[in-house]
Amino acid sequence: MTNYFKTPLTRRQCLGLLAKAGSSSAILGAAGIFGLTNIPLNASPVTLKPLQGKHRKVLILGAGISGLTAAYELERAGYSCTILEASHRIGGRVLTLRHGDFIDELGTPQICPFDDAPNLYFNAGAARIPAHHTGILHYCRTLGVELQLFSNHNKNCYTQDDAAFNGQPVRIREYEADMRGFIGELLAKSATAGSTLDQAFNEQDLDKFIQFARAYGDLDANLTYRGTDRAGYAAGGVTSPAILKQPRSLPDLLRSDFCTGAMHFAEIADQAPALMTPSGGMDSIVKAFLRQLTTPVHLHCQVSNIQLLPQGVAITYLKQGESYTEQADYCLNCIPAQLVSGIESNLPADYVAIMRQLGRGKLTKIGLQAKQRFWEQEDIYSGISWTKQDITQIWYPHHDAFKAKGILLGAYSWEPQISDRFAAMTHQQRLATAIAQGTKVHANYGQYIENGVSVCWQRMNHMLGCGAVWTEELQKTGFELLQAPAGNHYLIGDQLSMHPGWQEGAVRSAWHALADIEQRETLRTGARA
Amino acid sequence: MNKIWLVFMLLSSTALADSKQPDARYCLVCHGSAAQGNVAIKAPNLAILPDWYLRQQFIAFRNNWRGNAADDAHGKEMQAVANTMNDAEIDQAIAFIRRRAPVKLPISVNTTADIQHGRQLYQQCQACHGANGEGNAQLHAPPLAGQHNWYLVQQLSAFKNGWRGNQSDDSYGQIMRQFAQSLANDQAIADVVAYIDSLPPTQPLVRTTQ
Ligand SMILES: Cc1cc2nc3c(=O)[nH]c(=O)nc-3n(C[C@H](O)[C@H](O)[C@H](O)COP(=O)(O)OP(=O)(O)OC[C@H]3O[C@@H](n4cnc5c(N)ncnc54)[C@H](O)[C@@H]3O)c2cc1C
Repeated sequence: MTNYFKTPLTRRQCLGLLAKAGSSSAILGAAGIFGLTNIPLNASPVTLKPLQGKHRKVLILGAGISGLTAAYELERAGYSCTILEASHRIGGRVLTLRHGDFIDELGTPQICPFDDAPNLYFNAGAARIPAHHTGILHYCRTLGVELQLFSNHNKNCYTQDDAAFNGQPVRIREYEADMRGFIGELLAKSATAGSTLDQAFNEQDLDKFIQFARAYGDLDANLTYRGTDRAGYAAGGVTSPAILKQPRSLPDLLRSDFCTGAMHFAEIADQAPALMTPSGGMDSIVKAFLRQLTTPVHLHCQVSNIQLLPQGVAITYLKQGESYTEQADYCLNCIPAQLVSGIESNLPADYVAIMRQLGRGKLTKIGLQAKQRFWEQEDIYSGISWTKQDITQIWYPHHDAFKAKGILLGAYSWEPQISDRFAAMTHQQRLATAIAQGTKVHANYGQYIENGVSVCWQRMNHMLGCGAVWTEELQKTGFELLQAPAGNHYLIGDQLSMHPGWQEGAVRSAWHALADIEQRETLRTGARA
Repeated sequence: MNKIWLVFMLLSSTALADSKQPDARYCLVCHGSAAQGNVAIKAPNLAILPDWYLRQQFIAFRNNWRGNAADDAHGKEMQAVANTMNDAEIDQAIAFIRRRAPVKLPISVNTTADIQHGRQLYQQCQACHGANGEGNAQLHAPPLAGQHNWYLVQQLSAFKNGWRGNQSDDSYGQIMRQFAQSLANDQAIADVVAYIDSLPPTQPLVRTTQ
C-alpha cells in the first residue's frame, strides 16, 4: 500500500485534478457569478422609474423566466406589455411535469402518465437553486415562493462503475470514507513536503497540518487508515458493539471513475450544498409571476418576423396559421438564439451571425414513477446515485417521504453523445434503457417502475437545445455585441449571460436589458425637457 | 406503446388539444419562419424544393434511407418527425410550406473555393440536376440552385460517407452516392458547391437572392 504514498502530489497536480472535476465552462461560469462581471452579486433588481402618463409598449417574445421577469418589472413601472409565446405553455425550460401534461418533443410526443397526485411531479428542466443566485431568489422571496432544501450529495446513495468492485454499487459513504482515509494518510506521511509550498511553513504549521490530515482521513495514532465508522458499521453499533467495515483497497477505489468526477460534483460552486428548490415543483416560480402579472401571455403565437423600425419594432407572428403584426416601442426577446437565426428579420448581419455560431446544448432527463419508495428501505431520502452507464444519475425525491409512490429521476446526462443516443430511441426504448441500467444500482428496480417520461431537450419543440453553448472564443468576440440592443430589440435569456443553463442568468439578462431601457427613457425625457 | 399513448390522449382532452399541430407548424421551428432553412439547426431551405421532392424525402426518412447512420444526429431529428406523420399529414405539411411567402436569402461567397474547377466538376451533375441546377422531376433529381451551400456540402459528404444512398432499395440515393464518391476530397466538394452557388436562380421556386 505504501507504494502509493511515495511521491507527494505537487500543488500543480492538485490544481489540475480540481480543474478536471468541473468542466472549463463551469469554472468560467463560476468566475462570472462571483464578481468578474460588472453586475455585483447582491445587486438589487432594477427599479424602473414609473412612466407617469407616458405610453410605452413592449413586446416580449417567449414566456421564459427572463420574459416573465421583464414583464413583471416593466408592468410595475407602467409600460404596457404583451408576451407572445409559441408553445402551448408558459415557462420555457422551467418545465414541471404532472399527470396529463403534454410533452412536445419532436418525433416523441408524450402525455405524462404519472398518477394524479400532488407529490408526483418531475422537474424536467430547472430543478435546483444555489443560495448565491440572488436574482431568482429575489423573486422567490418577493413573490412568496415557498422553498425546500434540495440535496445534491447524500452519503447513503450509491456509486456504480462496471470497472470497479465487480460492477456492484457501493455506498458513497463507504467510498468517500476510504478515499479520504487514504488521502489523509498520504497527506500526514508526506506533510514535510509542505515546506516546498510557496508559503512559509513552520513547525507549528506542520503539526497542525498533520492534525488536519488525521481528522480528514480519520487516521489512528500512527497516522494510518484502518477503516472508520464514517463508512457505516458492518454490524452492531446501537445495542451491541459496533463492528467497523473493512476498508476497500486504494487500487480498487481508483478503478472507479467516481474519484475523478462525480465525487466532486457538489464542490462545484453552483452545485454545492445547501441548495434549494420550490415546494411542489420549479414551476411554482412561473405560477408566482403569473399571479402578479396583468400582462397578457398569448400562447400558440410563433414569432415569424422581427423588423427594426426607426422608432421601435414590428413583430409578426403566426397564430392558427394566420399572420398578425404588432408594433411596439421595444422588444425583449428570449427566443433561443438558434431559432431566432431562422426567423426572418432585418436584424444586423453581424448580430445574427453570432447567433448562428452558438451551439445547441444537448440534455436528456428521464422521470420514472415508482409504485413503492423502495429507496427509503435502503435509507435513502433525497440525493443522487451515480453510475458510469448512460443514465449517469438517479435522483431520489427530496420531498414527501413515506408517501405511497414517488417520482425518481432515472437518467440525466450532460454528455452530448449520450443525449444523442437517448434521442435516437423511441420513448419505450428510453424507459427500458433507464430501467435496465438502473437495475445495476438497485436490484429489482424494474419491478417498482410503473411508467415514465423522457425529455430530450435538443428535440423539444420551440427550444431545440437545453441552452446556448458559447465557446470561450465566441464569448470574447461576440457576447457584448449580442448583449447590446439592436435598435430597440434586446436579446435576453440565460443565453445572454455568463451563466447559461441557470435561471439566474435569465433573470440577470432581463435586468441588464431593463437598465438599458431605463437609461434610454431618461435620455428621451431629458431631451424633451 | 402507441395504443397506451392513444388511451392517454383520449383521457386528457386539454393535452390532446395541445398535441394537435394545426398546419404543421413544426416545420418552421427548424426550417425557419419561411421554410428558408436555418444554418444554426442545419435545416435546409425547403422553399426551393418542389412538392414531389419533399414527399420523396419524407418517404426516404420513413424508409430509413436517411437518418439511419448512428452519428447522423441531424438526419435522426428529421427522421423522428417523419416517422410520426402519415401520408395525409405529409401532404398537409407540404401544402403549408407552399403557402409561405418568399424570403430573400443573402448571397454567401466561399472565397477559398475554385469556381472554375467546380464548373468542370458540375459537368457530371448537370445531366440530372440541369445546367442551371433547376432539377429534373422525371429523373427524381432535386433543384440545387438556391439551396444553402453548407447544406449541399453536408449532403455531398453524407452521400460520400454512406449516410445516404447506402441501401439496396434506395435506387436514386445509390446513383447519387456514386457521383458523390467520384468527388476526390473536401476541396472538390467545396468547389462544386461554390459553382452551384454562383448559378442564377432560374428555377421558378427559387426566391430572390439579392
Ligand atoms: C435539463 C435542464 C436542467 C436545468 N437545471 C437548472 C437548475 O437546476 N437550476 C436553474 O436555475 N436552471 C436550470 N436550467 C436552466 C433554466 O431552465 C433556464 O436558465 C431558464 O429557464 C431559461 O429561461 P429563459 O428566459 O432564457 O428562456 P427559455 O426558458 O428558454 O424560454 C424561451 C421561450 O421562447 C419560446 N419560443 C421559442 N420560439 C418562439 C417563437 N418563434 N415565438 C415565440 N416564442 C418562442 C419557447 O417556447 C420558450 O417558452 C436547466 C435547464 C435544463 C434544460
